[in-house]
Amino acid sequence: MKIISIISANGGVGKTTIAANLATVFKKNGHHVLAVDFDPKNSLRLHFGIDLLHTLGIASSKQILGKWSQAIIKGSDDVSILPFGNTSADERNNFIGEMSNNPMLLKEQLITLGLPNNAIVLVDTPAGPSPYLDQSLSAANLVILANHADGASYSMLQMINALVEQQCRTRVDFLGSFYVINQLDRSRQLAGDIADIMSMQLGAENVGPIHHDQSVQEAFAFGTDVIHYAPDSRASMDFIEVSLLVSQLIGIRLGVTAHRDSF
Amino acid sequence: MKSQTHNKSKLIELGDNFFDLSIWKNWLLCLVMAIFATLLAYIVISTPLTLTEQIIFGVFAFCAVFAIRNRPWGRLGILMMIVISVTVSLRYMYWRLTNSMDFTTPLDNFLGWGLALAEIYSLIVLLLGYIQTAMPLKRPVVLMPPDLENWPTVDVLIPTYNESLSVVNTAILAAKSMDWPADKLRIYLLDDGRREEFKEFCHKVGVNYLTRENNLHNKAGNLNAALRVTDGQYVAIFDCDHIPTRSFLQVSMGWFSKDPKLAMIQTPHYFFSPDPFEKNLNIYKIVPNEGVLFYGLVQDGNDLWNASFFCGSCAILERKALMEIGGIAVETVTEDAHTALKLSRKGYNLAYLAIPQAAGLATESLSGHIIQRRRWARGMAQIFRVDNPLLGRGLSIWQRLCYSNAMLHFFYGLPRLVFLTAPLAYLLLGAEVFSATAILVVVYALPHILISSITNSKIQGSFRHSFWNEVYETALAWYILFPVLLAMVNPKFGAFNATAKGGLVKEEYVDWRVSTPYIVLLFLNLTGFIVGITKVILNEGATSTLVINLVWVTFNIIIISASANTAREARQLRRSPRVYANLPATIFLPNGKTIVCETTDFSQSGLDLLVANPVNLTLGQKIFVSIFRGNKEVTLPCTVARSGKSIGVLLDVLTIQQQVDYTRITFSRADNWINTWGKDSKDAPLKSFKEVMTYGIFNLAPLLKYGIHDLILSMRVKAQRKSYTRR
Repeated sequence: MKIISIISANGGVGKTTIAANLATVFKKNGHHVLAVDFDPKNSLRLHFGIDLLHTLGIASSKQILGKWSQAIIKGSDDVSILPFGNTSADERNNFIGEMSNNPMLLKEQLITLGLPNNAIVLVDTPAGPSPYLDQSLSAANLVILANHADGASYSMLQMINALVEQQCRTRVDFLGSFYVINQLDRSRQLAGDIADIMSMQLGAENVGPIHHDQSVQEAFAFGTDVIHYAPDSRASMDFIEVSLLVSQLIGIRLGVTAHRDSF
Repeated sequence: MKSQTHNKSKLIELGDNFFDLSIWKNWLLCLVMAIFATLLAYIVISTPLTLTEQIIFGVFAFCAVFAIRNRPWGRLGILMMIVISVTVSLRYMYWRLTNSMDFTTPLDNFLGWGLALAEIYSLIVLLLGYIQTAMPLKRPVVLMPPDLENWPTVDVLIPTYNESLSVVNTAILAAKSMDWPADKLRIYLLDDGRREEFKEFCHKVGVNYLTRENNLHNKAGNLNAALRVTDGQYVAIFDCDHIPTRSFLQVSMGWFSKDPKLAMIQTPHYFFSPDPFEKNLNIYKIVPNEGVLFYGLVQDGNDLWNASFFCGSCAILERKALMEIGGIAVETVTEDAHTALKLSRKGYNLAYLAIPQAAGLATESLSGHIIQRRRWARGMAQIFRVDNPLLGRGLSIWQRLCYSNAMLHFFYGLPRLVFLTAPLAYLLLGAEVFSATAILVVVYALPHILISSITNSKIQGSFRHSFWNEVYETALAWYILFPVLLAMVNPKFGAFNATAKGGLVKEEYVDWRVSTPYIVLLFLNLTGFIVGITKVILNEGATSTLVINLVWVTFNIIIISASANTAREARQLRRSPRVYANLPATIFLPNGKTIVCETTDFSQSGLDLLVANPVNLTLGQKIFVSIFRGNKEVTLPCTVARSGKSIGVLLDVLTIQQQVDYTRITFSRADNWINTWGKDSKDAPLKSFKEVMTYGIFNLAPLLKYGIHDLILSMRVKAQRKSYTRR
């Protein structure tokens, strides 16, 4: 089991979208995938066509949910999802309490699921420092940092990197960080320049752009993923390329050939 | 099966490494073998044979050559073919001069000797050509040492005179993009046109702009003026329309560190636009052009003898050596070849690296092509007059022969015209140019012609297709004849003409002024053909002689018609020629949607993009297009010009940075030209003959149509003028 935590310093940079689309690409290539919604917003399930009224999740109260495995539900493309659950304030406080009692709660719970060795677990994490981020980082084999190519993301890079450094670097099972630049629009010079600077500073092999593409939003509106909805779009291609780079980092081979570098 | 391929590769290995065998190190043994071989050759060449015996000899030689041709002998096979070809051709010439020159009338004497001299010229060029191309050196790349500290300084000189900025800017941007330590690379634009626009552009891009007070000695003078005010250890020279790849310097400079006596390294001139032959005959990427033979084979062959020469562009020279001979030579109009000759005389080495690292525009029209070739021809003749490589100090015998052939090559004008008119001597004038029976001529000449053709075809492989040489030479023969003759009489005669590039041809037309010589030759040969046929039907004269001359005339008609068709200028609507390359790309539409695609070609003005599923885009719509290369992405503002499965876009006005990025991701790609260069199909003489026929004789109808159309038009214009003057 390889745990990939998807994190960001700022909100609204598209972590959930990245988690959902990567899960789909991995699943399409025959991998065992589990998408974990570790965010009280509980919106990941919506990317997989699961009903808004489905309330069960990992933070649901003990009386309702005995084990995490009971909350797993199959979404579109047959991807397994572990929702956070539509929770009350009490339930959330309880969950936070549980997390503060056990800093390794997430990891331990994921282990108890008994997933196969080659399974990929994607953990969608709320933005910014929080107990959720700490749990997610403590569990991660690989961290995907979601960014926009803008000043806000760039200025927070150092802070979020320091957090990752603190929580992960010393662990032997930690494989590194990968940076996704989401909604990149190079027709705007500043965006292009920031993307270039990030790629230079972080190492081009660790950075993957997802271009700004209307198809991503449209796919979500139609309750599907962009790879289905618009296979010829740049975003589809970008998700495939990112999945390829990520799978190289975690040492799992993918069946797709990326568009990039094929020339 | 496995052992067979094993044997095959062993045979090639032996053939390729024939000259590495230790017997060649024993000079006494070599001398004895040489004397023995010379004696043997003399016997074979001079022994008189009866008709039947000569037929057997010819058939035997032909079969031997044919057998070797299809076996995997490597280089040794080519050498064996050359030995047989030389022997058979010399045997023909020996017979020709001793047994067929017994003329009776003064006219026979004049024409007969004229033909014989043309044949002797061709034989000399054939023999020198064998020496030049028998064993191409195929020099490998030498890498630069890893520590950048010791890399030398390089000045890149780009001379320009009257070319437009839209042609020159890409070369400047590409030169600036070359991979070399920034503090050791300086780019200079040498503007003999002294244009403000160029000065501004150089300023914006950040390259040096140089001018001088006069335009003395044209390009050579321009370069020399720049050499006086620059001081880099090495000088890379590019014509202003030659676009270097970013790897040019790193790939080419290595040899200087390996060979301290090296003064110049030349790389191929690759053209990414079709030359007039390719364009007007529509044979681009089908039949290799003249440059492919020269840079693919001749220069590489020269390199073995340390006689590869400087071709004016896409080359690097060592400044110290260059200054020792007084800079770029100014005595002739082919300053490049003469500079190389002077360096050789000083004992410097010259190198040729057969890796295309720059590309440029070919001449646009036949008339432009003719102007360029006239200059080369005149310049080479000038060198032959003022600094003959056969005379003077400092050259090895092989260098003398290679340089001489490079110059003699341009003397083909008169001999070619002789061959194109020789059969008419008999058919129209009744002159006997051979004092021998027709059958004897055939049994001696045929092995010579066939075997030398097959041998050349084998040597030239994919670098030239048989018979196209005749087409190229025929198109130029008349035009280079007089410049060469005049230069031989007085080397100072004539002026330098820059070659025009980057023009448009809106409507197809025939350049009648240029094509007059071909039309005359065609008319003469057609007349000869009709007269000959009539004589055969009327049973006048010796039928066998008539048949030989008819075959010859037919061959001439085919060749001339292909050349004449070159004067039919095809339409050229895009201002900048396209480069065919499949680069990953993406279209970004104003509505936020994207389409992943691939370029099919790019040019300085636009791109063609291939999409998986046809899309309907509004013409004139503003979009962005990204081109990808590894982690690099360049996004450009474009306008849609064509929609559907293949989408054509025009680049909008780009910022300097966008221009730099675009040039880097397209024109300066290191692998741009290597993949397509010299990858034409291998020569097959019969197929090639069919090609010439197809593009020549079968295409005469449109030429005729244009001829009649233009004739009527000009008559009408004349009539109108007359009526005006009458009023």
